[in-house]
Amino acid sequence: MSEDFTEPRRLHPATLIIRWLRLAPQMLAATIGVIATGSFGIDDFLMIAFVFGGAGTAFSLIEWLPFHWSAGAGEIVIEKGIFHRQHRVIPFDRVQDIAIEQRLLARLFGTAKVRIETGGAREDEGDLDMIALADAHALRDRIRRGGRTVEVEEAEEEPLLFAMGLGRLLLSGLFGFSLVFFAAIAAFVQQLDRFGLVDWSDWFTPQRADQAAHLVTLRIGFVLVGLVLALGMIAGVARTVARDFGFKLTRSEAGLRRRRGLFTLSEVVIPIRRTQVALIESGPVARLLGWYRLSFQTLGADPKEGGVQVAAPFARMEEILPILAIAGFPAPPPRAEFHGVPRRALLRKAAPTLALAALAALAAFTLDPRAGILALGLLALAILGVLRWRKHAHALGERALFVADGLLRRKLWIVPYEKTQTIQVSRGPVQRALRLASLLLDTAGAGALRSPEMHDLDQAEAGRMADRLYALFQGARRRIRGAA
Amino acid sequence: MQADDRAEPTHQIGEAMQSLHPDQISVLRIRAVLASVAALIVGWVLDIGLLRQTPTPEYALPGVVLLAALYFVLIYPARRHRSWGYAEGEDELAIRSGILVQRRTIVPFGRVQHIDVAQGPIQRPWGIATLTLHTAGTRGAEVSLPGLEVGLAEEMRDRIRGKIRQDLV
Repeated sequence: MSEDFTEPRRLHPATLIIRWLRLAPQMLAATIGVIATGSFGIDDFLMIAFVFGGAGTAFSLIEWLPFHWSAGAGEIVIEKGIFHRQHRVIPFDRVQDIAIEQRLLARLFGTAKVRIETGGAREDEGDLDMIALADAHALRDRIRRGGRTVEVEEAEEEPLLFAMGLGRLLLSGLFGFSLVFFAAIAAFVQQLDRFGLVDWSDWFTPQRADQAAHLVTLRIGFVLVGLVLALGMIAGVARTVARDFGFKLTRSEAGLRRRRGLFTLSEVVIPIRRTQVALIESGPVARLLGWYRLSFQTLGADPKEGGVQVAAPFARMEEILPILAIAGFPAPPPRAEFHGVPRRALLRKAAPTLALAALAALAAFTLDPRAGILALGLLALAILGVLRWRKHAHALGERALFVADGLLRRKLWIVPYEKTQTIQVSRGPVQRALRLASLLLDTAGAGALRSPEMHDLDQAEAGRMADRLYALFQGARRRIRGAA
Repeated sequence: MQADDRAEPTHQIGEAMQSLHPDQISVLRIRAVLASVAALIVGWVLDIGLLRQTPTPEYALPGVVLLAALYFVLIYPARRHRSWGYAEGEDELAIRSGILVQRRTIVPFGRVQHIDVAQGPIQRPWGIATLTLHTAGTRGAEVSLPGLEVGLAEEMRDRIRGKIRQDLV
């Protein structure tokens, strides 16, 4: 049967309970805080907790009661707010993406959060937090079909493009080494400190630090470092498993459908028309073993993920290429077709650091020998810079530009010519002295820091390439318009 | 496939560029004068105040500021004006700018989302305006061309507007 959402309706009632539960830790903390001030006894605990609990209920209700949504004739309407009333209309054909997310609690109630993205810059453009899961799916299908209520038979099974078994998931977790849990523990202890349950300054006194210093031997040091590394590994695995459990990428009508998550289930469709740039990246060890990560830069992608959406977090190149092909991106050409930077560009990359290193070395001989360490560090930095520049390369394919960058974490961008927004050649003072120039192909939704810029090309070559890229862009646009 | 993607352009896009309106030099100079006066006052106040507690020689800071001000008022406006250039093509606008870091940017009209023609208080008496093209990009999302005669800027805006195509993808 088909639901039409013409009547304004409230969010699922379970929202109230979940919002209340989400407020619970704060309410509990506030209760403890009030008691810690000393003006109330422990006997008043129940009373204070009751007051805060009531306040939580009121807050949840104030948010829930005025919130109405409907999805009638070709548009979603969201009304909310008591004092500051807001009436938002989102036409179906402006909706870029509908993400359905189910947190652990939501799963207990069979509800889901629906996020409607329109490609605008702001987050929270149209969140329905939460509605029944069945409604979420029905709503999504309805918006996809442009508001027609016709029942379209759901394809039995969408073709599977990529999935991760448990073995691979655990393996990928090992590469996700993370020291996040240290921050978590520190934050927890700080919270305890704040409520006066633990006093930091009691723990770390100079006497204690002195005693501890005597206890730490080389062997204990090694054990400790090993322990930290092991914990980092475990944290990495845990985080990866929680995020990527049951990772599944399928080909859906509108794009690539990605499902993943252990506690929080999320389902996102990466619309193929909206993908701008493909990025294949890999860390040093993973690359040796032949593992890569594929993500797409799309319009309206979650900025929390760095503006890109992961399509395959840990995959073989043979698995990545078919996904690229389906999304309309050409495969990277062989290494031999890439052009590196001219030799004198290595000079530009290393010269400033080398000059500083020379200064530090001078200081080491004249002022303080400890500056020698700094000199060595700068020298290493210069060498790393040169090595990185030697890996920096680009290739002009038939349909896309390929840019490689990064020394340890190697990145390969695939920019289809028709996705160009602007083309810019720039030359700084040092670059001009060395007859070098950088070339930037700007795309929509690119991160400010992670963009496929080609640094330090030969100056004349960069100028020619800018014009050639523009001609290729126009050619690709004409072909697309011709096809349409 | 088509010949057009193979065809190597015979000359660089916007090789022969137009320069900005000569009055832009005056606009830049007035801006420089205003900024210099502010900087000189700050420099002078620091010199008679805070800097007297340090061994800095008297008039050192105002002197340096004055030299910089002379450069920015006398030499910089003309250089800056020379560094700018633009060429309006059939389907694109090419802009060159910058003294220290020199840039050449190509903006295809098909990519323009919206266009601004703006006039600041100093530009207004000279009849000078700034044309800004906005694209959906990130680092080159806004491309500005200052120092156009108002009528010309509006003419260009209308011409470009006619060529904007509604294809965001």
